[in-house]
Amino acid sequence: MSRIVMRFTGVGGQGVLLAGEIFAAAKIKDGGYGVKTATYTSQVRGGPTVVDIQLDDKEIWYPYAIDGQIDFMLSVADKSYQLFKSGVKEGGTIVVEPNLVHPTDEDRKKWNIVEIPIITIAKEEVGNVITQSVVALAIANTYTKALDEKVLVDTMLSKVPPKVHELNLKAYELGKKYALESMK
Amino acid sequence: MSEVREVISSGNDLAARAAVDAGCKFFAGYPLTPSSEVMHTVSDLLPAIGGTAIQMEDEIAGVAAAIGAGMSGVRSLTATSGPGMSLKAENLGLAQMAEVPVVVVNVMRGGPSTGLPTRVAQGDVAQAKNPSHGDYKSITLCAGTLAECYTETVRAFNLADRFMQPVIVLLDETLGHMHGKAMLPTVEDVKAGIVPRKTFDGPAEEYKPYGVAQDEPAVLNPMFTGYRYNFTGLHHDADGFPTEEIETCRKLIDRLFAKVDEHKDEIELNEEYMLDDADILIIGYGSASLAIKEAVNELRAAGIKAGLFRPITLWPSPEERLYELGQKFDKVLSVELNQGQYLEEIQRCMGRRDIQKLVKTNGRPFSPSDIIEKVKEVF
Repeated sequence: MSRIVMRFTGVGGQGVLLAGEIFAAAKIKDGGYGVKTATYTSQVRGGPTVVDIQLDDKEIWYPYAIDGQIDFMLSVADKSYQLFKSGVKEGGTIVVEPNLVHPTDEDRKKWNIVEIPIITIAKEEVGNVITQSVVALAIANTYTKALDEKVLVDTMLSKVPPKVHELNLKAYELGKKYALESMK
Repeated sequence: MSEVREVISSGNDLAARAAVDAGCKFFAGYPLTPSSEVMHTVSDLLPAIGGTAIQMEDEIAGVAAAIGAGMSGVRSLTATSGPGMSLKAENLGLAQMAEVPVVVVNVMRGGPSTGLPTRVAQGDVAQAKNPSHGDYKSITLCAGTLAECYTETVRAFNLADRFMQPVIVLLDETLGHMHGKAMLPTVEDVKAGIVPRKTFDGPAEEYKPYGVAQDEPAVLNPMFTGYRYNFTGLHHDADGFPTEEIETCRKLIDRLFAKVDEHKDEIELNEEYMLDDADILIIGYGSASLAIKEAVNELRAAGIKAGLFRPITLWPSPEERLYELGQKFDKVLSVELNQGQYLEEIQRCMGRRDIQKLVKTNGRPFSPSDIIEKVKEVF
């Protein structure tokens, strides 16, 4: 596998950090290398947050995504989207929450912009907004095919309390369903 | 090679786990970004094994309590970032003078003052050499990988007990918060490597805690074991009581230096990456070395033979090795996330002023391309 580089962006408090940790851990459990870094501001909530994820079969030294090399980005906040979109390689996929993120026409020419209402899915269909990071995880893996689904889901379940396993499995399935539909 | 285990975690979490595995039983501190996760993890782990983790009222109380635990004889930790180091400085001077072992993890962020709380920097390197006023010899270790956040914290505890003084472990925001794979020694190997501090087991009336050879640290028995002596920040005699006697005062400070200087071989640790056949020497440490390694690989792929020298023990500095490298390499580039704090030490050790430098102090990490461009520009 060549290196897969992903970026999740949002604002502080939305919980985008967890999805990155799950990706990195799952890749390592699968015998490779995975690194997650998070960059955020000193604002506790509301500041732009970016999570970089790199997955590779070879050792990764530098832990941040390099601008121009990002294959896939997911964004649930407009200010983070505007700040960090330039790192995505031309033709790369950017999944946005259409209620909150507003790509320009230029953006739509440069990248494969996909609109999935991630937060609405988590809030209304899964029933808990916290599960948005698992919805995002499912969408990212469906697009990038970075990891074997079973390894990823098992890793995800190992990081959440047993009493919410069902809820998170539902979130994963819904994320995957919406991602597959968006590809049609 | 001894056995290793795979752990998936962050640098801060690994430093905390290392402390507990190395026999630390006491933590006192005050949460400060980007070091707080050290405290989170020890707060989970220490009570479960009969240890103690306390959130104190402030940074000063945090280090004071940790030093108190060190005085009582247990392995003790505090963790903070730059602003906390400034507050802890005075008490670290006390621990240097009274020869109390304590480990301080400083996860560096942008400074001075409150600076850039969530962003990376390496601006506390000069401070780590002399955090407090007065003359003493600091021991400062600097992790450059996730695994070293663990192994250097373990080493810090062993060095603190060997040399009876504070040992600073420098991490930085990148390493503290990055999350990935670390190959670590087994807990059994770590425990087998613990060398407890020396104690005196002769008759109590013959015990002279500070009456030791000129190149050795004090021998401080744990409190409440029948051996009485005094702790003070004042110049003191063999029993630890204040004195201004001329020779005693001279010998005390001479010994604080000699105990480290005469045993540098037990402290020095460096990494040399792709140096053997290199034409260009890059010197860097901490998380900056991650970008340097990536840059070295890319430069070599383009036919430019670069290599990295990375001090892992920053203080005392690797004087002899730096001098040798300065003789061997014509082209030398120093890379650090400050305005050149370690560059001054490199210049001193090499006896050269023509070392190129790449610095950054805006809270952002170096990227490999920053380093590649600089190498192509100056050499």
